[in-house]
Amino acid sequence: MTTSLADHLRSLPDESLAALLQLRPDLVVPVPADVSALAIRAQSRVSVARALDGLDQFTLQILDAARLTRDPADGTTSTDAVLAMATAGPHPPAPTAVRAAVNRLRALFLLYGPESSLQIVGGIDEVSPYPAGLGRPAAELDPRTAALCADPAKLRRTLLAAPPSARAILDRLAAGPPVGSVPPGALQAPPVGAEDALPPDPTNGGAPTGSPVRWLVDHRLLVRISGGAGGTGTVELPREIGLLLRRDSGPLGPLRTSPPPVTAAPREPKAADSAGAGQTMEVVRLTEALLENLAAEPVPVLRSGGLGVRELRRLARVGGVDEPTAALLLEVAYAAGLLGEMDLPGATTARHGADQQVLPTAGYEVWRASSLAQRWEQLARAWLTMTRQVGLVGQRDDRDRPITVLSAEAERAGAPLARRSVLGVLADLEPATAPTPEEVQELLDWRAPRRSRGREAAHREVLAEAATLGVTGLGALTSYGRLLLADVTAGDERGADDPLGLRMEAEEGEPSTAVRALDALLPAPVDHFLVQADLSVVVPGPPDPALAAELEVVAEQESAGGASVYRVTTASVRRALDAGYSADDLHGLFRRRSRTPVPQGLTYLIDDVARKHGGLRVGSAGGYVRSDDEALLTEVLADRRLESLALRRLAPTVLVTPYQVNRMLLALRDAGYAPVPEDASGAAVLSRPKTRRAPARVSVAARTLDPLATPKLSMPRLLGVVEQIRRGDAAARAARRAPAVVRGVADRTGPVAVPSHSDALAVLQQAVRDKALVWVGYVDAHGATASRLVRPVSIGAGYLRAEDERTEMLHTFALHRITAAVLQE
Amino acid sequence: MSGGPLIVQSDKTLLLEIDHPDAQACRMAIAPFAELERSPEHVHTYRLTPLGLWNARAAGHDAESVVDALIKFSRYPVPHALLVDVAETMDRYGRLQLANDPAHGLVLRALDRVVLVEVAKSKKLAGMLGNKIDADTIAVHPSERGRLKQALLKLGWPAEDLAGYVDGEAHPIELAEAGKDGRKPWTLRSYQREAVEAFWAGGSGVVVLPCGAGKTLVGAAAMAEAKATTLILVTNTVAGRQWKRELIARTSLTEEEIGEYSGERKEIRPVTIATYQVLTSRRGGAFTHLDLFGARDWGLVIYDEVHLLPAPIFRFTADLQARRRLGLTATLVREDGREGDVFSLIGPKRYDAPWKDIESQGWIAPAECIEVRVTLTDAERMAYATAEAEERYRMAATARTKLPVVRALVQRHPEEQTLVIGAYIDQLHQLGEYLDAPIVQGSTTNKERERLFDAFRSGELRTLVISKVGNFSIDLPEAAVAIQVSGTFGSRQEEAQRLGRVLRPKADGRQAHFYTVVSRDTIDTEYAAHRQRFLAEQGYAYTIVDADDVLGPKLPSVD
Repeated sequence: MTTSLADHLRSLPDESLAALLQLRPDLVVPVPADVSALAIRAQSRVSVARALDGLDQFTLQILDAARLTRDPADGTTSTDAVLAMATAGPHPPAPTAVRAAVNRLRALFLLYGPESSLQIVGGIDEVSPYPAGLGRPAAELDPRTAALCADPAKLRRTLLAAPPSARAILDRLAAGPPVGSVPPGALQAPPVGAEDALPPDPTNGGAPTGSPVRWLVDHRLLVRISGGAGGTGTVELPREIGLLLRRDSGPLGPLRTSPPPVTAAPREPKAADSAGAGQTMEVVRLTEALLENLAAEPVPVLRSGGLGVRELRRLARVGGVDEPTAALLLEVAYAAGLLGEMDLPGATTARHGADQQVLPTAGYEVWRASSLAQRWEQLARAWLTMTRQVGLVGQRDDRDRPITVLSAEAERAGAPLARRSVLGVLADLEPATAPTPEEVQELLDWRAPRRSRGREAAHREVLAEAATLGVTGLGALTSYGRLLLADVTAGDERGADDPLGLRMEAEEGEPSTAVRALDALLPAPVDHFLVQADLSVVVPGPPDPALAAELEVVAEQESAGGASVYRVTTASVRRALDAGYSADDLHGLFRRRSRTPVPQGLTYLIDDVARKHGGLRVGSAGGYVRSDDEALLTEVLADRRLESLALRRLAPTVLVTPYQVNRMLLALRDAGYAPVPEDASGAAVLSRPKTRRAPARVSVAARTLDPLATPKLSMPRLLGVVEQIRRGDAAARAARRAPAVVRGVADRTGPVAVPSHSDALAVLQQAVRDKALVWVGYVDAHGATASRLVRPVSIGAGYLRAEDERTEMLHTFALHRITAAVLQE
Repeated sequence: MSGGPLIVQSDKTLLLEIDHPDAQACRMAIAPFAELERSPEHVHTYRLTPLGLWNARAAGHDAESVVDALIKFSRYPVPHALLVDVAETMDRYGRLQLANDPAHGLVLRALDRVVLVEVAKSKKLAGMLGNKIDADTIAVHPSERGRLKQALLKLGWPAEDLAGYVDGEAHPIELAEAGKDGRKPWTLRSYQREAVEAFWAGGSGVVVLPCGAGKTLVGAAAMAEAKATTLILVTNTVAGRQWKRELIARTSLTEEEIGEYSGERKEIRPVTIATYQVLTSRRGGAFTHLDLFGARDWGLVIYDEVHLLPAPIFRFTADLQARRRLGLTATLVREDGREGDVFSLIGPKRYDAPWKDIESQGWIAPAECIEVRVTLTDAERMAYATAEAEERYRMAATARTKLPVVRALVQRHPEEQTLVIGAYIDQLHQLGEYLDAPIVQGSTTNKERERLFDAFRSGELRTLVISKVGNFSIDLPEAAVAIQVSGTFGSRQEEAQRLGRVLRPKADGRQAHFYTVVSRDTIDTEYAAHRQRFLAEQGYAYTIVDADDVLGPKLPSVD
């Protein structure tokens, strides 16, 4: 006697039920009304698929064993039966492992009931139709095949007689899935007498076999399950034959109770950490370089979103990285909040997406001021959690358009999970183990085969990105990468537990363990440099921010990395002088910061540039007064009436004022001087009073004489007017004549019995046949009711096509908008 | 953090802090694969280039050892990407091999078929490859060997050349270290020995040694190693005769075995010294003397002053790939930027030594470099300011104001042999009159030159004014002061060559002085700064002084 899942759940103690809900949290979203509802949901396709997704390969295989050992009568199985099947192969797993797997399945309620009569939750067959990659029993497929399977000796003989090409097909189907599609024509028998004309088959020693699939179907080893005569079809390998073919590996295929081992030689943990740390410095530096570039020259957002291909190429070139790396760093910086969009000045909001540009945010300033390790952590955290698959950038989307950086097409919700699971695999290995990408993929396939299948490319990308970002070093997860991963995972769990983020706030400001671990690996900032005779300045380590800011001004950077190399040039010294340094300041700076004696050449260079600096002075003035008579100018300068002009003596013969020439002219004339203005080339400008004039107007004489005279109308124009009037009249009458039903207006006496939609359809179909005029009432696109007198032409595909005789136009009405139809009386 | 002496930069330069205790060991470790780029006083710069890494592969170093050396000596963590890049670059070497096939002669053979397919499709190799012999082998005409190697290098798939070298016509040559004809015994200096060994192990290549460090002896030692007929290419006849003198003195060769092939004489002997000039002279548009390369079965070709190698010789060298080639130079900087061609045609840099190292070992004289800035008179400044752009350098360089300064400098060193070097003949004549010194210029006959140089060597003549002919290898061991008044614009190698004139070690270990007189606030100053780049990168610290300081305090008068 079997019980339903609902009954079983109902009989459980509260704790067990709670345990189930904890394991399958999707069951309580939303909270089911009662246990029956819970049971229905637990057996639903979606929920079962979710539960299966998280299972490893071995547990799934044990579940398959349970499904295969079901009693055909009541659909139950038992632990013993499962055990028997699982250990039937040549390398049987330990019974404890099998039992543990069964218990895992029972905890998830994918199996339920007592050990002796286990039931399998419904829905599994929907999720994966072929348990263990085996087909349906022959009895369900084809009676003749069933007969063959019932005779083991004959079956064996038939199998052995199969030509090699047919045998290859059998082996492939036996490994699963058991269904294969057949190319058109493969199942068709060759014309009689043409058997000899068949092409030789190299897999069969050169002898012709015809189509191997046809051979198999003809000999009842495969069953055709779909497809028309001669066309493409699908064939299935019956379960019995599949099991027979799997003699060597056991009924469930090769079983592996533990994840596949990693054979790659482990790295020196220190070497891995060191390579990773080197990469973190690099990635922070490159990100900064990219963002500085964006700050100097913001990049416009494409109308379709994202940054243009050419812009990316430019950024990559200037930043000194390849394009995929540039794309990754931009995406990460954006996810970390270091980049943002801003409207272009003077942008019109009418156009969508356009008129925006991408440039560093205010957060970038904060980021730049923090320590190397913290900067890296911010980037790495953003990378771990961002829902972007950067590897798609540069590929083409469904419409064959290139996917650009920061565009919506590269959005993938599963990306964080993929990163988490790949890094999780690395984290579960011994520290500093560096598995190959293939090994990582195998491990992922074992851990959650249903999840990892089809994501190989994404997983490979994750490994490459992790290496680029320095999360891994020499292929192994670094110590600080491990801490960061643990921290992010823990943060998620804590977040679920701490919805208000209270604890998070308390921890704010405290560097995380990952940052501290990385800090220990990174070089300490240095505050000095070495100056050499070729005027190069070497900072032997990461410069502290103050030093970096000073060098930024006084020297040109030549090379960056573990150390920075700058060069002092005439131009850079001039720039420093422009920025407000004096020659003494520069001497002091080099003396203070340099660990080596300052070369004489540098001292001389600074003095030499400083000597020439400011030799030319540039300014602006509104106007000038010049005169060869120095005494006269001195008099003007001393004149108190001209104080308001703020005159300044530039040279013995030149005065300047910030005010305009006209004002100066008036003031000078008022004061009794006789100035003459001159133009840009120095020629005197002669002025004489100018007479003012209004803009030109047209004389009234040009106008028409009699404004009241009627314009002449030609005959065609008159006829046109008449027709227009008549048409308006007809429209007015037509509107009046439309029946109330169609107009949808309620009568005063009570609601009109509106004929149902189907009635309207019947009326219309009749009208199409009779070619009669019909009043059609419909709801237009704005929701208003309207009516029209038309002659229906056709009905189809949800539309009525009808002719309006009045306007001589063909109208198309959506049928679902038609409210009524009445034949015209 | 290991606290090592090396800092790895992301642009693939390596900074070596030379005051670090491990610096020497580190230099030995990275020298095989990294190229020395600059060697100023505190931090030397090396660069990782694909070419350098491939040469290291050719010399038997693998990627693992390169990465190990970087990690071992690096002070800071080395970026993972850089290590990966190094390994990948080195992995590209040797996927293709040039080999001698017993049946088909020279063939290009692939260890990686895909690469062969890729390069065979390349347009750059069109016409260089012959018939396909099988899927992995393509025949190559021997005359295309050099060009093919060069093209493959540009494609990034350098071929390993297993075809070897022809030995050439044997000819006995020995170093006469015991002393010949009553001369004192001598031995090859350690760096010369290392240079020859590095060259011989590599087969072909360039040896870079400072001026005055004895490059001729490296050539002689290479000849003694090859023991075969040798063709020596030099810049001019005087240099050729110096080679001849040196070879007769230092090797078992006799006068009769050495031929001179120049504008004056056309001798072809077991050892033949030819000038670039005669090889590149044309008659009716054809190079008439290139047959010299085929005149004998040369076992070794030596290019002296390889940085001056003219373009036609470049083209011809491409056909000489089966012969051993040795390039000698002090300054492998070409203002035409064709250093890469020198490497790919003659061979990679096999040996390089920082100038300051050789100086500290005492093989070249320590030198003090001083730039003297002359303030032009107002009239000269005005003339300069209004001059046409192309005349400006000449105006500034030949300013008359320089003359008294030059005289003051000459008088500063009354006991020393002094060379005054300039580029403009008019100026040299002025100087000659002003200083009362003879002039050697392009139009001076070889005989007159020899006479003046001999007088200078013997000390009869204390001051000599020379034109651009002084840029090249003239051996004036006793010159201790050089005063440069004008030059070929901003040429770095000219500056280094001129300094080289005074670098021969002096008998009493005296210091050499190298003065450059430039006009302040003119283009002369800018060119001077550019000229000094190379030497500054070799660690020569220029001191800049004002002309007034030179003229001002009176030195004790000579008379």
